[in-house]
Amino acid sequence: MILLFVSLFSFSVNSNAKSITLGWAAWDPANALQELTKEFTAETGIEVNFEFVPWPNFADRMLNELNNKGKTFDLLIGDSQWIGAGAVYGHYVKLNDFFDKEGISMSDFSPATVYAYSTWPKGSENYYALPAMGDALAWAYRKDWFDRPELKSEFKKKHGYDLGVPANWNQLHDMCKFFQGREIDGQKRYGAAINTERGSEGITMGVTAAMYAWGMEYENPNKPYDMEGYFNSPQAVEAVEFYRKLYEDCAPPGHSDAYMVANLDAYKSGQVAFQMNWYAFWPGVSKEDSDGRVSGFFANPKQNVAAATLGGQGISVVKYSDKQDLALEYIKWFARPDVQQKWWDLGGYSCHNDVLNSPSFPTSTVYAQGFLDSMGIVKDFWQEPTFVELMLPMQEAIHDYVVNGKGTAKEALDKIIEEWVEVFEADGKL
Amino acid sequence: MNVKKKFKGLSDKAVGWLFIGPTVLLLLAINIYPLVYAIKMSFTNFYANKIGREPQFVGLKNYIKVLNKEAIWEKMQVTASFMFWTLLLQAIIGLGLALLLNRKFKGNELLTTLIVLPMMLSPAVVGVFWTYLYNPQVGLFNYVVNFFYDLGSFDMIGSSTLAPWAIVIVDTWMWTPFTMLICLAGLRSVPNYLYEAAEVDRASKWQQFIYITLPSVLPFLLLALLFRGIENFKMFDMVVELTSGGPGSATELASINLKREAFEKWKTGYSSAFAVILFVTIFGFGNVYVKVMNKIKER
Repeated sequence: MILLFVSLFSFSVNSNAKSITLGWAAWDPANALQELTKEFTAETGIEVNFEFVPWPNFADRMLNELNNKGKTFDLLIGDSQWIGAGAVYGHYVKLNDFFDKEGISMSDFSPATVYAYSTWPKGSENYYALPAMGDALAWAYRKDWFDRPELKSEFKKKHGYDLGVPANWNQLHDMCKFFQGREIDGQKRYGAAINTERGSEGITMGVTAAMYAWGMEYENPNKPYDMEGYFNSPQAVEAVEFYRKLYEDCAPPGHSDAYMVANLDAYKSGQVAFQMNWYAFWPGVSKEDSDGRVSGFFANPKQNVAAATLGGQGISVVKYSDKQDLALEYIKWFARPDVQQKWWDLGGYSCHNDVLNSPSFPTSTVYAQGFLDSMGIVKDFWQEPTFVELMLPMQEAIHDYVVNGKGTAKEALDKIIEEWVEVFEADGKL
Repeated sequence: MNVKKKFKGLSDKAVGWLFIGPTVLLLLAINIYPLVYAIKMSFTNFYANKIGREPQFVGLKNYIKVLNKEAIWEKMQVTASFMFWTLLLQAIIGLGLALLLNRKFKGNELLTTLIVLPMMLSPAVVGVFWTYLYNPQVGLFNYVVNFFYDLGSFDMIGSSTLAPWAIVIVDTWMWTPFTMLICLAGLRSVPNYLYEAAEVDRASKWQQFIYITLPSVLPFLLLALLFRGIENFKMFDMVVELTSGGPGSATELASINLKREAFEKWKTGYSSAFAVILFVTIFGFGNVYVKVMNKIKER
């Protein structure tokens, strides 16, 4: 009886212990954060529970939770595009006063990440998140194949330049096509695993990597929400046509609804020479190089301009949480430069200047320099509160054109503008 | 036992209401109220995710918008085509299997159990494992097709021509057993003396099938198709898992589009109008169908 009483008592003490819940996507960096957070618990005694949601359901799950004013999460590492909705609909706590009180300065973080992950309206000094995980879309390639003398000489003979990191998208296409259907070590290989996913954001993130490099702008810089001639400019049309060509000429069979995990799988199984993916995955990819596989990494190639699709997230305190004080304590701890350094060491992508500007940073990993390069040229999708409504028509129209082969690139972009106008009108922006 | 004895003081009518009351309340709460609420919403510009914004009455604007939208008609065409082919195949194969299993042979029970297995599975699970079966590199489906006829590598899910067939095949594989079971019930209800009389009249097997079997089993078959038609009109989970409505919008059924408009784009007013239109469509078709079915029964 005494033992039972003691165990019941200890359970009740335990359940009363201070704890918070953090929500994020289920992927490699989340595991690194879980590891890092053990130090926070050791320092403060605050338990942190994690709820990681698979990427395809991440936005649905989290945004439904916020829209329903749910209390499941105290902290949320939300996508960059959510910041508008988080601020406008009051889902996120505004952090300015807290930052001032705790001496956390946004100038200590990379400007591109502060702009993208923390501010609303964009570029203002209203902060709703602390930059947590810097990320951009980039490329990994089979360096071991690229280094083979017979392949190098064959490629040079065919194209007149060296097989290596492509300087632009045309070269990327040449190289991908070079590997398409080629037999290496007795197996048929393919060119590139690129984003083609239709359900959430995959193909948009992929095609915009090309569109940004071609110089696409979403809107007239002098007249917000005026998209005609910008989003469907000849350069944008050319970029979308190019992406379709890349898909048709270089994607492995069955790669018609693929995003992060499918790209990783195609690469890891040795099917493809290139994969398009987020920096977040490169620690895992480089660590898992084995059986002769050597991976190289590079930032999104330029075409007319140097640009890359922004990924990454900021960490926010959920307005509906009953434990905002504990959640803020976590942010205070996470903002510390020493914690940020450990974050990078564990495989997370710190946005803190002390980490990024450290002389040893560019050589700390094979992909660190690429990450620095990318974070200087990132561009993001609309961060409007209505970003989901803006994302879905683009997903559908681009998938219809690139994968389904329906219509023309211009028609697809025109259709997207038509839908976007409707969304902005309903939102009172037009 | 006299019910009155058990419920002293309550009339039979009251006892009846006592039994059906909870069900009626439940139906009102989870069926009728949402329906009425959706109809009300369909006349507003309500967005469920725009907190604090009061919905405004917009009259028939949402209905006009839905009916004038080319994309909606494309989804309706995709849905109609999916329904036509699945119902046709399920009717033919289901009836064929029922005729086969209506005969007595060794292993009949085992074969029936095996055939019925697919419909016991969750549609989401079916969607997921068929994506693997359809994989152009390692999928069993391609292997089997190529075993009989060398088509090389083809992508059932990635091709806009093949993807609609991919979902038809999976639905047929999964739900033909249902049609078969209903038809089998119909076949087993045909009195044997009809066949004996036909034999005496020297009717051929084909004539027996046309004049006895088919008319007897037809009401059952039509009933099965009614159920399948209603189900396939609102088909969602299996197709989402299999193709997500793609490639492009080649397999985006009306129900998938409705979910996207309602719970991803959060156009609550607009999607309510779309839902009402879908409801009226299936309700109307269902009623006409039942009337036709009753006429066939009366013959």
